[in-house]
Amino acid sequence: MESRGYANHVVQYAPDYSLCAGCETCAIMCGLTHFGVTGPHVSGVHVDLGTRDCIHTIQVCQQCLDRPCYEACPKKDEAMCFDAGTGVTYVRQEGCIGCGKCMRACTFTPSRITLRRAESRKGWRAVKCDLCREREGMPACITYCPVRCIGLSEDSVEAASGIHPAEPNAL
Amino acid sequence: MPNYTLDDIINSPANTGHLHGYSGKIIRVDLTTREVSFLDTYQYVPEYVGGRMIANRIFFDEVPPDTGAFDEANEFIYMTGPTTGVGIPAGGRSAACAVGAAMSPEQYAWGNIGGWFATELKYASYDGLIIQGKADEPVHIKIEDDSIEILPADDLWGLRVHQTQAALEERYGHEFKSMVIGPAGENLVRIASITTGNDCVFAKGGFGAVWGSKKLKAITVRGHGVLAPADLEKLEYLRFNMNNPGMRPSPVLHMTQIGVPGGEFPVEYDRGNVACSPGCNQHCNALLMDGRSAFSDERVNHIEKCVSICTFDYRSDIPTTVGMFWPTKENYCAPCKLLSREFPEPDFSDPHFQEQAKPLAPDILNFWGPDYDRGTIVNDLCNEYGIDKWEVIIFMMPWLAMCKEEGLFDGMDLGCAEPIDVESEAFLREFITNLVYRRGEFGDLFAEGMARAIRGLGYEKFSESIYHGRYSQMLGGKRIDLPVSLEAAWGQSVHWQGRGFEGAIEKPTWLAMSLINMVSTRDAQTVEHFHCKHDFHEAAMADPYHCPHVIDAIIHTQNAAEIKDSVMSCEWQSPDLWWPTMEAEMYAAATGYPMTEEELNDAACRSKLLFRATLIRNHGRCRRQEMESIWRILSVPDSLDEVADWQSWNEMVDLYYEARGWDLETGWPYRETYERYGLADVADEMERLGLLPERPQERWCDYGDEPFVLFAQNRERP
Repeated sequence: MESRGYANHVVQYAPDYSLCAGCETCAIMCGLTHFGVTGPHVSGVHVDLGTRDCIHTIQVCQQCLDRPCYEACPKKDEAMCFDAGTGVTYVRQEGCIGCGKCMRACTFTPSRITLRRAESRKGWRAVKCDLCREREGMPACITYCPVRCIGLSEDSVEAASGIHPAEPNAL
Repeated sequence: MPNYTLDDIINSPANTGHLHGYSGKIIRVDLTTREVSFLDTYQYVPEYVGGRMIANRIFFDEVPPDTGAFDEANEFIYMTGPTTGVGIPAGGRSAACAVGAAMSPEQYAWGNIGGWFATELKYASYDGLIIQGKADEPVHIKIEDDSIEILPADDLWGLRVHQTQAALEERYGHEFKSMVIGPAGENLVRIASITTGNDCVFAKGGFGAVWGSKKLKAITVRGHGVLAPADLEKLEYLRFNMNNPGMRPSPVLHMTQIGVPGGEFPVEYDRGNVACSPGCNQHCNALLMDGRSAFSDERVNHIEKCVSICTFDYRSDIPTTVGMFWPTKENYCAPCKLLSREFPEPDFSDPHFQEQAKPLAPDILNFWGPDYDRGTIVNDLCNEYGIDKWEVIIFMMPWLAMCKEEGLFDGMDLGCAEPIDVESEAFLREFITNLVYRRGEFGDLFAEGMARAIRGLGYEKFSESIYHGRYSQMLGGKRIDLPVSLEAAWGQSVHWQGRGFEGAIEKPTWLAMSLINMVSTRDAQTVEHFHCKHDFHEAAMADPYHCPHVIDAIIHTQNAAEIKDSVMSCEWQSPDLWWPTMEAEMYAAATGYPMTEEELNDAACRSKLLFRATLIRNHGRCRRQEMESIWRILSVPDSLDEVADWQSWNEMVDLYYEARGWDLETGWPYRETYERYGLADVADEMERLGLLPERPQERWCDYGDEPFVLFAQNRERP
């Protein structure tokens, strides 16, 4: 992969800090937070599960600074949007036409963008990590991770603080 | 992609209660006719909750008496629960029922399993599946949303467990989740397991052999649908509060010792903790990294559960404390926290702290010495062949060790080129491989499971001979006799029964564990560990056989097992004795139905009654059968050199039967008991078959003589 810069994004810590247990709580809580549902295509976080060796990898948007997904979007700024203040590229669901161009433009494999079926059942909507920009506090995936094996790339101090994520109001 | 939305499920005409948490359909696959059809889940819920409760109802309705494990009429009924896939902790587990092959005699059995399969099946919009009939050639079932195919498995047949999983992922994609059997299941080895991801297994019932008899190698599923809890706010509350405080960061640690607590030996390895299923908030599975493989030079990770620890070293038994079974509120914590090393700091202000922490020293057993590599090889053999580790580690290997020590194998080789030696990796590899592939006379014999194999070799000698290597640390090192066979009820090995394995427990505890196992069909201690509040410990110790609190706690333990296998929770997370509404709250959060603790408990009683009725109708279960099955192990001395008393044990069983509403003489439920839980139709069926007892005019108390136990007689010989 070519070298590129990234804005603040979700990172998976090294296993000598905390090992991903494969519970998929991050993906589940992402879907619930954004859409009130769970499922394989409603989450901006995907856990690539090691079925047999139990080494699991978190796959999530890295918030590329060159934003190929944003550039590919035919409804730029209506569907795929960019928050210059945070560096987060995000999808406005009501503007998305589900063409999938952003998903195909993502330079990661597998694509960090997926498509979910729209509530109306007519068409699709893109789903990607938006760092829970409308949620107070940390992204839901980080808040709910039982073992705190994920954190923010620009805020790893908090992850190392030893706060128990499952304590109410800890974050 | 499935052409439905969440609204389609919630507002489907069949879902009159607009319940969340269910997909609405149970798949029925008839392997004989190769037909696929569907059952409506909503005809069973909320009355039957989900999981094992629905399976019990379907099995009673569909599987005729005298159906054997390998009969075409046997049905493997797999069910998820309403919490599965919606994000409630521990909801990722699932349950199955069938006539199992492992027990002696074959009986209707149950099991539960972790892994990611259950959630994926829910995403495919199914709550469960019924496998019936028999294929005439090896097959696997592929489910992808609306597409359900029965496909050939010629190229999968013969592969080991991990090879099969890898082949399916390569063929269909990494996102497909599978349940598979290994060569043991194919060869109808009675202790064969069914394995899903994470090396989670249906192990105890011998369900792998049931699949083998149906020529079913694997089921693989991929779903693209959605699920939703009814109450997201409540779900968040549960995530924060179930077994609060939560886990800490869980790094991979470089370990320098392993073994039974208190008896560790030095060895270097890396260890992490992993979850068994989606949504779990307490990760109790041990990931032992870069261990030896039984099949290649490659280093592999092993995911191991509690029993695996004994493979590395079994010189002494597992130590316990009073608080493990009789906790106080101040010092209660879920067992998963112990396994994941998240055990909280003790509360020293607890007035009963000293008693809670009182160690019960384990017996010295001298089965085998420390060897990490040998242990990893044995665990890997079990994982890859697909056989029940418990039977291998707690029944087979101790039997080999004890029989050898007592000289019972003189002149025998058990079909192995290697000398019989449970400390020899080469011997164990050959012995286990022989039984998995039914090689030779002995391989074929031990493939039938230990209980049957011992009888084939000669019960008198190979079961009831005395092992002279057990020493009680509770009695200052006194030697206490043990039979060479650690068989308990129903041909299954001991498990928390106060002798032979996990022996250092008190009499009220082992009496309770034994009663629980007696009225089940298999080792029940995987999901029915006995717990009772410490408030009643003193009364129980004063009169272990007649303490009503113990009877109440037994019933609570059993009902909790039904509930956790149906709502879907986990033995290591629930029940929480000080949060009795937890599972009802889980159910309500998942479905939106305002389930109460009482309602859920009634559902558990209903399910238990269906289970009982099935045992009576299909397998001739009665009091005498139960007493004969359990009495042998109760005639083996515990760590304090005490055995059960026949009269008192009968009186304890009376108390339990009465509390359940069962007839004392037969152990059969009365009509009023069935009807109390809405099972008049079951009562009618039992009456038609002459299996519905009348209440006697006088209280029955004709216990008869205690069953003859040869081991007890052998002990009395000079």
